[in-house]
Amino acid sequence: MGNLSIIETILRDRETFFLEIRQGKGLGRKMRAMLISSVAFFALYGAVMGSSHSLWQALSSAAKLPLLFLTTLVVCAPTLYFFNLNFGSNQSLSQNVALMLTTITVTSVLLLSFSPVVTFFLLTTSQYQFFKLLNVGVFTISGIVGVTFLSRGMMIVSYGGDESARARRRVVWMWIVLYAFVGSQMAWTLRPFVGAPGLPFELFRQLGGNFYANVLASIGEILGFVTVR
Amino acid sequence: MKENKDIRWDQLLDLLAEEVAERLRAESRPDAAVDWDRPAVEAAERSQEEEPTPRPAEPVSEPAPPPEMEVGPEAEAEPATPTESTELEGPPAPPFPSHTARLLGRLALGLLALVIVINIPINRHGTTLATAMPDRRALVFRDGLVVKEEDDPEIYVYEDGRFRWISSLRAFEMRGYVWEDVHVVEDGFLEEHTIGPPIHVILKCRESPHIYLLEGEEKRWIVDIEAFEARGYVWEDVEFVSCGYLRELPDGETIPPGQGPPPQP
Repeated sequence: MGNLSIIETILRDRETFFLEIRQGKGLGRKMRAMLISSVAFFALYGAVMGSSHSLWQALSSAAKLPLLFLTTLVVCAPTLYFFNLNFGSNQSLSQNVALMLTTITVTSVLLLSFSPVVTFFLLTTSQYQFFKLLNVGVFTISGIVGVTFLSRGMMIVSYGGDESARARRRVVWMWIVLYAFVGSQMAWTLRPFVGAPGLPFELFRQLGGNFYANVLASIGEILGFVTVR
Repeated sequence: MKENKDIRWDQLLDLLAEEVAERLRAESRPDAAVDWDRPAVEAAERSQEEEPTPRPAEPVSEPAPPPEMEVGPEAEAEPATPTESTELEGPPAPPFPSHTARLLGRLALGLLALVIVINIPINRHGTTLATAMPDRRALVFRDGLVVKEEDDPEIYVYEDGRFRWISSLRAFEMRGYVWEDVHVVEDGFLEEHTIGPPIHVILKCRESPHIYLLEGEEKRWIVDIEAFEARGYVWEDVEFVSCGYLRELPDGETIPPGQGPPPQP
């Protein structure tokens, strides 16, 4: 429960939380608590997604979803750090990672809060493409709220540095775009998370296509324009 | 005593009004997103740097607050303003009722239980609550999709945009399929789709020159190389088995038909 209490601080007293990151207070403890909480929540949401296919898919998605977010964080962390340095920031790498962990922690909490809704649709509808797009929508909303926290946190943590506020904001939003691209490609690489009905369980699917084309094709199939083959 | 108290409340209300006005001014500016943080950061830093005594210390004998002002959790939590000691111990106690962490923990546990429940098989076919919905519309057409119409024993596999009939159990097994891969669809489903050439197994034993096509449980003798090639078979399709196994298989119609009794291998 101690690890979960940090989420309450993030959600309800974020200014203090970001200020402590700015001052470097208890960074290790904060990062550990956020890491544990987010991994647990992502795993639970992943298990819900995979349950639409089979138990093996549920277990696989429970392992892959935390991996997806943490790998994306690791891939994108140096970019944010060095770009911030380039614009005169005096933040440490730990502070940057703590901010990014805040982003994925908020995202994971929102995903957890969406999971009863997703479970409801899992039990009451059978259309694969709809379920897939529902999850894309849930991830989009949660991700946007998560990166909004990052933007706000970055403003507070880097307040008073040498760089201008406009430049700081530009760096953050550029990084957010990069984070979205890397995240979506990582998700495509680690797929399936839901598991296509009619096909046997597979841990990873062969590469080919891309995330955006697949989302468009799914929308097309729901609207009756195309059949996803 | 009462005058002092009134003055104190006036001061508090003034401070509150100033803070609200400052926030409103900040939000009304075009670059509010940036400037919003300025008072927040500065105020928060001030509150951490300065002595955490926004109100004058109350004497021990101070009477209870006026009845119109509730002594809520905010007031109770006030001593938990961040100090060095609290920073070492953990995050400062939030100035609000702490129930979110407990709620999150319960939600996570409840969800875990739900995930387990919906993944428990409810019949001998391994159907779970999560996969119990009829999934006819949920078919995803990809190479390797194996289907069978409800009242038809024939099994088809989807390959290159066509459904191909798997002509024998041996062909089904040779391709690595298991019964769990077969997706039962409604009768007439295949009429809506393109049907490709069937998938056969061609058998031969080393001691005999004859080649047979396995179809269902029967072997069909392929009379000559022209008939073999006319059907689009290639030598890579031929599987070698023992002549004894071939002899045990009942004979079917020759290819092409009407070529008399087939020779035995």
